[in-house]
This record gives sequence, C-alpha cells and structure tokens, in this order.
Amino acid sequence: MTSLVNARGVSKKFGAVRAVDNVSFEIEKGKILGLIGPNGAGKTTLLKAVLGLTDCEGDLSVLGFDPFRQRKQLMQNICFIADVAVLPRWIKVSQILDYVEAIHPNFSRARVEELLLQTNVRSNAKVKELSKGMVTQLHLSIIMAIDAKLLVLDEPTLGLDILFRKEFYANLLNDYFDEERTILITTHQVEEIENLLTDVMFINDGKILLDSSMDALSDTYVEVMASGEGAQKARGLGPIAETEMFGKSVMLFEGVSREHFEGLGEIRIPSVTDLFVAKIKEARK
Amino acid sequence: MINHYAALIKREFWEHRSIWITPVAISTIVTLGVLTMLMFVSGFAKELDLAIFGAQNIASDNERQAALTGFFLGTSWVFLLALGFLTGFYCLDSLYAERKDKSILFWRSLPVTDAETVISKLMTALVVIPIVAVLGIIATHIINLIVTSIWVASKGGNAGTLIWGSVPLLDNWAAAFIVTLAGAVWMSPFIGWFLFISAYAKRMPLLLAFMPIFVIPMLEGIFLRSSVFAETVLGRGGLPLFRSMDFDAMFEEEQWRVSEDVASLLNHIDIVKFLTTPSLWAGIIVCGLFVTAAIYVRRYRDDS
Repeated sequence: MTSLVNARGVSKKFGAVRAVDNVSFEIEKGKILGLIGPNGAGKTTLLKAVLGLTDCEGDLSVLGFDPFRQRKQLMQNICFIADVAVLPRWIKVSQILDYVEAIHPNFSRARVEELLLQTNVRSNAKVKELSKGMVTQLHLSIIMAIDAKLLVLDEPTLGLDILFRKEFYANLLNDYFDEERTILITTHQVEEIENLLTDVMFINDGKILLDSSMDALSDTYVEVMASGEGAQKARGLGPIAETEMFGKSVMLFEGVSREHFEGLGEIRIPSVTDLFVAKIKEARK
Repeated sequence: MINHYAALIKREFWEHRSIWITPVAISTIVTLGVLTMLMFVSGFAKELDLAIFGAQNIASDNERQAALTGFFLGTSWVFLLALGFLTGFYCLDSLYAERKDKSILFWRSLPVTDAETVISKLMTALVVIPIVAVLGIIATHIINLIVTSIWVASKGGNAGTLIWGSVPLLDNWAAAFIVTLAGAVWMSPFIGWFLFISAYAKRMPLLLAFMPIFVIPMLEGIFLRSSVFAETVLGRGGLPLFRSMDFDAMFEEEQWRVSEDVASLLNHIDIVKFLTTPSLWAGIIVCGLFVTAAIYVRRYRDDS
C-alpha cells in the first residue's frame, strides 16, 4: 500500500461540537494535498489528530502508526510547521540546531547549515532578535534538513510578506519535494498554492465536501462565462453556482461534460477558490 | 540515547539560566564577603582573638577547625536555601513557560514523548540542580581557601597545614553532596506538585501552587478542628538524615571549638535512618503521582 495516511470514520468532539465529524480519506505517497476550509471548519483539529497532538475517535493510521499513542515514532518521520508552533524566543540559532541534531535521527546538520547560508540568519543570533520572516526561514530550513516522509504545513506563511511567501513555496518545491515525500498543507491563501497541489480536499463543519485530484477536478468541473441566450441555455443544464461579472453570468457545473457548452460562451477550468466558494455555499443551503 | 537525554537537560540550562547564574552569584558574594572580612581582621592585627581561618600564632587548632567548619556550614546553608527557592521557581516555570511563549507545539513536533520531557524536568530539579549546587559549594570553598591561604601565608603561616590540613575537606564535600541530594528527594512531593501546577495552570502558577498550602490548613482548622495537613505537609521541614538535629551541640560550650569526632561532617549523617523513614517513601510516591498527572496534562491538553 502506498497510502501514508488512512482515516476511517474519524471524529473529534469538543463538548457538543463535532469539530471533525466522521471523516474518511486516504493520502498517498508523493502527493501534495491542500486541505481547504473556512475558519472553524475543523482543519486544524484534523491536522492535530494526524500529528498525534490530539486524541480522536475512529481509525486513524499515519505511516502505519497510531498517531496519538505512537507520537514519538511518528515524529521521526513527520515534520510540521504550524502558524501556532512558534520557535522559542530565548533560544540561539546554534542551540536549536544542536538540540534538533541530538533529538532527531533523520536530521542533517550539514544540510541545514547550507540552507541557512542562503539566508540572513546567523548562528549566534537569538530567535527573538530575528524578524518574523527570518524565523520562518529558520524553521523551514530545519524542517527541510529533516528527511521526513510526510510534511504537514498549517498556515505556514501567515503574517509573512509576499516576497517571503513566494520564496517559501519555491524552496519547498525545488529543494524539498520529490516522489518519496508527501506534503499536507492548509492555508487561506488558496490562490498561492493551487498550482502546487496534486490533490485537494475541502472541509466544512467537520465534514469533507470534496476529495479529488487536481486532474480529476478539471474533468469534473467546468466554468462557463456567457450572456444572453447562451447563459439561458447553460442555466438549463443546472449550474451549482452562478455569479455576475462584467454583465456576464459565470456558472459552475459539476459532472457536465464540456461539449454541452460548445458555442454557449467562454469555457474555463474553475479556480480552486471559485470552486471552494461554490461548494461551501452549496453545503450551507 | 545518552545524547537524547543530554540534549533535553541542556535545553533546561539554556532556557533557565538561573540554574547556573545563581551559584555563580552566591559564590561571588561569599568570596567578596570573605575578602572584606580578611582585610577587616588584618586591620586589627593581633588584638582580635579571632583570626578567621587562623593565623598560626593566634588561633588554636581547634578554634581554627571550628571556624572552618562554621564557614563550611554557613556557605553550604546559603547555597541550599537559594537553590531550594531556585528549584521551586524552576519547577513552576518549566512546563508553564513553553505554553506561555507558545513554543510547546514546536517542542512537540520533535520525536520526544511528553513523558521524556516531563521527566527531564523532574531530573533537572531532583539531580541536576543539586549537583550544580554542590559544585558551587565546592568551588566556593576552594576559592575561599585559596584566598585565605594567601592571607595566612602573608602573615608567615603555613597554609598547607593550617588551612588545608585542618578539616577533612573531602569528607565534608561528600557530606554536602549527600545532604543536597537527600534534601531534594525529601522535598520531592513539592517538586512533583510544582511540576503538576506548571503543566496545569492557565495563569499565575505561583499563586495556584501556594494557595492550597495556606487554604487547606485554614479550612481543616475551621471545619475539622485538626491540623493533619499542616503537620504532614508543612512539617516536612526537617530532613531525617542527621544523627542529631542539634547543630549547636557540635560546637563545645566555649565558642569556636569543635570536638574531634564531629570535625568530619560525614559523621553526622545517618543514611540508614533516612532510607528507613516511611514518610520519605510516601513523599516519593506522592511525587510520582503528581509527575504522572503532569505528563497526562501535557499530553491531553489541547489549548494551542
């Protein structure tokens, strides 16, 4: 089996609230999966369950481990950056490298030093003396020097300026990702990552709304921009969402093949953002 | 494996610098105090019948021994007191600080179990801080004996026999080591309680840790008209490690004389008595329960 993460009927309750509600999915090796959902959808809770940071109901296996009960073994093969997982401010860069080197069996000191040379992060500086961007560079360099099978990124670029964000994803793709590795990522800035993703998963109110590869997405969903009679005909085919733009109607279709729209208007592949908005609206009806 | 735990302990030294700054500060203060005293004493020359650690022609062997033993006990006491406070504050901060500065998820993203983390902090309080304290005591003695030797030599005395040969240094240092370590184990229920509060408190761990210590005896006094809690918990001051708790008796009636058999502080220590005291083991069990609770709180709590 090549599935790294296997979830069957996973739930997590906080009192009466079901943050994650009977969710089942698989993540295969070599994928970059975007987990996308509005605030409070259960993304972070689901990630925490995958990382063994929180207990949950149902069957969840990550790299063959029970994440909550075998967190130590799991963390030897998983890395994560969460916007809330900040580096301690009192530590020196050299100290944090010493610590991770001693703790982590799959960490390469040479690699992290090579990566840090490309940044302005000096090894005798304390974390509290670094800018937010530099702290993220440091954290990412540490993560990239760990030979992990699964990398989990939870809003990794929150609060960073656009230059850092671009660089962050470029580094991730060029220096880190290969077919042996798998990345699970959540972010609000969907436009920035949609070109990186191989797979996408929408989550809302603790439930999965969509779980698909990006290739399948462009087969299943079609966006048509039309006006007048074309729009009228298209509307007859049952769009799942419709918006107005520049006096034209933009309609989104699910499972309707492209040839139906020939001559009706401009046919496009919908962006993940538009699809996401349509799916959330549909779910809230 | 050794590296793994060494790294965890090293983290404590980096994060809680007071662990090594405190002994250095005390040692410096004691040394400055001794230097001042020596200068003061030498100003009075021979009139003063108390040459602190003894110029040859003034103090008798016995007086010198008493003075040195007094100095030894005094400095050790300062260290133990300070390190006791330090251990309390360290424990209260150790699991609270990583939540306050939000770095806990970073620490938990590494392959270290919650049990390993909490136990590394317990070991720091129970073993590492006592060892640092004893090293501080020994270093302070050596520095001050050197300073005094120079002073004695400048008065024409033989520092080798007068200072270094007059008290059994190695015995005394071994005694300091045993007392410090035994003291930490004796106080381990408090260490466990502080670690638990440190893992549990959402804010103000200091207040939360001390409140029950004051409130419970009060409530017990009002409602049960008894003082069991106060006697068992607050009465845990005396370390059952010594043959006699009467330190005054160590010095003979005429001041600054110490009888021969008590010159070695090691002779006062009764390890068998310590190890057979039931409340020692009760305390260790209480400590274990609190530490287990601290591990569970760190593991199950999800407040990030």
